[in-house]
Amino acid sequence: MRLIDWQLAFEAHLTAPTPLVDSHFAATLLGGPTLDVHTGLAIYHNAYLSRLQDVLRHDFSALRYWLGDDEFAALTQAYVRRYPSDHYSLRWLGERFPAFILEHLVAEQSAPLAELARLEWAFTLAFDAPAGEPLTLDDMAQLRPQDWPDLQVTLAPTVQQILCRFNSVAIWRAARDASGLAESQALSRAHICLVWRHDQVCRYRSLEPSEACALAGMVGAGWNFSELCTELAVTYAEGAPLQAVTWLKQWVQDGMLERRAPQ
Amino acid sequence: MSSSPVSLGYGLGLRNEYYQQILEQSPPVDWFEVISENYLVQGGKALYYLDAIAERYPLVMHGVSLSIGGPHALDGDYLKHLQRLAERIRPAWISDHLCWSRGSAHQLHDLLPLPYTEESLDHVAGRVRQVQDILQRPLVLENVSSYVRARADTLTEWQFLNALTELTGCQLLLDVNNVYVSSRNHGFDAWTFIRNLAPDSIRQLHLAGHMDYGDYVVDTHDHPVCDPVWALYQQTLEHLGPVSTLLERDDHFPPLPELLAELSKARELGANALARRPLCA
Repeated sequence: MRLIDWQLAFEAHLTAPTPLVDSHFAATLLGGPTLDVHTGLAIYHNAYLSRLQDVLRHDFSALRYWLGDDEFAALTQAYVRRYPSDHYSLRWLGERFPAFILEHLVAEQSAPLAELARLEWAFTLAFDAPAGEPLTLDDMAQLRPQDWPDLQVTLAPTVQQILCRFNSVAIWRAARDASGLAESQALSRAHICLVWRHDQVCRYRSLEPSEACALAGMVGAGWNFSELCTELAVTYAEGAPLQAVTWLKQWVQDGMLERRAPQ
Repeated sequence: MSSSPVSLGYGLGLRNEYYQQILEQSPPVDWFEVISENYLVQGGKALYYLDAIAERYPLVMHGVSLSIGGPHALDGDYLKHLQRLAERIRPAWISDHLCWSRGSAHQLHDLLPLPYTEESLDHVAGRVRQVQDILQRPLVLENVSSYVRARADTLTEWQFLNALTELTGCQLLLDVNNVYVSSRNHGFDAWTFIRNLAPDSIRQLHLAGHMDYGDYVVDTHDHPVCDPVWALYQQTLEHLGPVSTLLERDDHFPPLPELLAELSKARELGANALARRPLCA
């Protein structure tokens, strides 16, 4: 058997649903005095799956807590069979897990689980995203008065936005604190949860709709500070500039914004 | 392509469990070995600590994803990132494993054994040369533990390793525990393996623990080094002279003082072994 054919047979054994061994492949192998070929191959087969499941257990620990070990194991086994790893780093193994949950489970079950998985994956992304050059309060203090109206910002690279239609944040928090199982519930009003890294620590915060709208206007629609104040005036009237500054200061303090170069 | 091996002394695998203590306590470790893939990222805590630790200790890069014997083309993107990391932390050397870890379509994330044949040797040697051309340094390759071997083998593992170093100028990371594990699983003499390797090709040694199931042994890196491996290590150092030694632990992480005590044991046993070497070796 050529080397490449032998390796393909080995790969087929590792990725097969069961550790049953193809007899032609087994015939190309030797065991040892007390380690037969089938046991040797089972060690490799088991190690392949358990290594991948270990990574997913770590990256989706809240989902595991919520589902329980057995259901989580079944789900992750189905996932790695459907989407084997294609990146050299195991850090990316879970990238398609939220989408897989939507594909794999019935809608009533999959929607809240996929959202929780997206939330957990957001932490993974925030954890090692490039830091970028977040604005600081010192930077803001250096701005000249004439710079403020045209000031534009964008999100720092670590910031992830998750649209939550379920109480995923509460479930995630309960799992983190091991404080009992929270029941999954649809929220009366969806909200945005931000996940980002600041000073090497991952943080999260749910936004009220008005704040989410203001942030989306600035980092998505490209409003400058003057436009933000104009938009807020509809709701806050003469208090709009103060509200705009309050939110901007909070976002900057949190290390979530970078300055966008003037167009 | 060769350079004279210099012993860095006694090192530990750098793991995130110990980052903060290393910075706060500057423990008596001569060097650290880092898992390359853990730092092929764009930011975050791991790189932050890596940079800080690189200022204080010599580092060596140890990869698990090169797949030097794989059936696929070498991953240029991976090698580019590896090279960038090397420029960032300036490791004393870069190592990976004599194995394959990626199949035809997917990453398998295991250190899979190769048949020890002329065909494998040609295949691996060509790829080692490619990697060395890209990284501009000798590649250091580690012998892996294995649980099956190919019936088609025409060379022993040590003959294969010697031929590979001779053909390519690559160097060896001799994992003493892996030799022990494979010797138990396949029924060969561990010392015969080690004493038949070309001594000048050995750049580094690994020590680690394993799980002994009686009929077979699994390389788990989650236990202290066992007595037979310590004995083999001493015999190896007595034979080779000083070689950089690394204590690995990848699971069931003990408190750092416990790991440092095990490293001290390696120092002590190593010193004893070296003292037994003939003066005019």
